[in-house]
Amino acid sequence: MNAMLGTVVAVEARKARASRVMIWITVILVGGLVALTGGMLLGAASGDEQVLAKLGPLAATGGWAGLVGVVVQIAAAGGLLAFGVALSWIFGREFADGTVSGLFALPVRRPTIAVAKLVVFAVWALGVAVVLTIAVALMGLALGYGATDAAGAAELLRVPVLVVLTALLAVPAAWAATLGRGLLPGIAATVGIIVVSQVSAVIGVGVWVPFVAPALWAIAPSQVPPVALLAVSSVPFVFGSLCALAWGRLQLDR
Amino acid sequence: MKAVRRAVLEARAIAREFPGGAGVRGIDLTVAAGEIHAVVGLNGAGKTTLMRLLLGMLRPQAGTVRLDGVEIADAAPQAWAGVGHLVEHPLAYPELDVRSNLLVSARLHGIPRERAEALVARALAEFDLERYARVRASRLSLGNRQRVGLAGALQHDPGLIVLDEPTNALDPAGVILLREALLRRAGAGAGVLVSSHHLDEVARIADRVTVVNAGRVIGNLDPAGVDLERAFFALVHADDVERPRA
Repeated sequence: MNAMLGTVVAVEARKARASRVMIWITVILVGGLVALTGGMLLGAASGDEQVLAKLGPLAATGGWAGLVGVVVQIAAAGGLLAFGVALSWIFGREFADGTVSGLFALPVRRPTIAVAKLVVFAVWALGVAVVLTIAVALMGLALGYGATDAAGAAELLRVPVLVVLTALLAVPAAWAATLGRGLLPGIAATVGIIVVSQVSAVIGVGVWVPFVAPALWAIAPSQVPPVALLAVSSVPFVFGSLCALAWGRLQLDR
Repeated sequence: MKAVRRAVLEARAIAREFPGGAGVRGIDLTVAAGEIHAVVGLNGAGKTTLMRLLLGMLRPQAGTVRLDGVEIADAAPQAWAGVGHLVEHPLAYPELDVRSNLLVSARLHGIPRERAEALVARALAEFDLERYARVRASRLSLGNRQRVGLAGALQHDPGLIVLDEPTNALDPAGVILLREALLRRAGAGAGVLVSSHHLDEVARIADRVTVVNAGRVIGNLDPAGVDLERAFFALVHADDVERPRA
C-alpha cells in the first residue's frame, strides 16, 4: 500500500461526510431498529400471539437480555441490508456517477482507493455501533431496566459486537459492486447474504460458516463458540482483498 | 515551426478491438513537450478508446504506451502525478461543492494539503468559478460541471494533459477560457492532447491535427491550412470509400 493511503482516506471521508446517503442510512437503521424493537416489546406485553410466536423464548426473558435479544435479531438482518447498501453506494457510485475515469492515471494506486473506501466504511460502521448501543441503552433505561435489572446491563455489549460482525459480513457487496460496475449488483449480493444467513440461522445450521454465525449468535448465543465469531473476520479479509485486486485490474471496457 | 522536443507520451501500434468491430487498430501517436496535438474524428472513430488506452483505463491487445519514456504498465504511481486528464465524465462529486471537488482533485494528484488551497483559489479564478465555490456540483449546469472537471485536471500544472472532447457542454466563454489555459500551459512546456469530433476552437489552436477514422490514423491536417472542414471530410470520405476494399 503506498504512502497516499492517508490522503485517500481523507478524501473518501470528506465524500462520505458530505453525502446524505450515509446520514440517511444511519438514521433509518437506528430509528428503524428502535421503532421495531419498541413495537415488538409492546406487542409482547399486550399478549399479541403473533409477536409472542416470533419472539419465541425471548418473550419470557425480559429485562436487558430480552431487549438486547430482540435488537440483535433484527439488526442481524436489517443491519446487513444497511451496511450492504452503504458499501454498494461507496463503491458503485463511482461507476454510476462516471467519476471512476477520474480515478485512473493518478499517483495513487487504485487498490489503495479501494482500501481507503473500506477504512471509511469500517469507521462509519463503528460509529453506527456506538450510536445504536446508546439508543438501546436509553430505551432500556426508559423501560426501567436500570432499576429492575441493573446486573443485566452487560448484555448491552452484544449490540456493538453484533453490529460490527454484521458490517464485516457486508464486505462482499463492495466486490460485487465493483465487478458489476454499479450499485445494484452490490445490493443483490447483500440480499443473497441475508437470505443465506437468516435461513441457515433459523434452521440452526452453519455455526462455523462465517456468513451464518452472527445471525445464529443473535438467536441463540450459547450455541455459537467465540472462535466461530472470530472466523467472521475472514470475510472482510478475503472479499476486501478480492475487491482491492478487482480495482487494481479494473478496465473501463463496458 | 517549433523545434522537435522530447515526447512526453508515445503510443506505438496500440490496438484494442471490441466485439462488434469498434475500437482502435494499430495507432502510432506522440505528444511532445510544449505542443498541442489534436485528434479529430467522427463519432465512433475510436477517439475515446484511444484516450483510455493512453491513460491506462484500458489495456491494449497489442502495442505499447510510454509515459516520459517508461511503459505505463511499469510506470511508478508517482509518474502519473504530472498528468492531468478528463475523459468523458468530469471528476465532480455531486455532494461536494466546487471548492471541495477541486481540493479532492488536487490531493488525489499528490498535491500536499498546504499547497492545495492556493492552487484551488487560482483554478477557481482561472475558470471563472469563484461565484460557485460553495455550490454543490449537483446544482451546477452541465457546462459548469465540465469547467470544474477541466480546472481539476489542469490546476496542478501537469506536464502532460489529455482531454477527451473537452469543449462538450462549454459555452463560448468557457471554450475561450479553456483555449487560453491550454495555450498558457503548452507555452510553459506541457504536452497537450485533445480530441474532438469536429474542428472546434480548441482543435484549431493545435500544432498538429491527426485524423482518425474506424480506429486508425488516416492522415493529418495542416492547422494553418484553409478550409479545414473540407479537408477533414475529404479525408474521412476517401477512407470510408477505400476501406471496404481493403
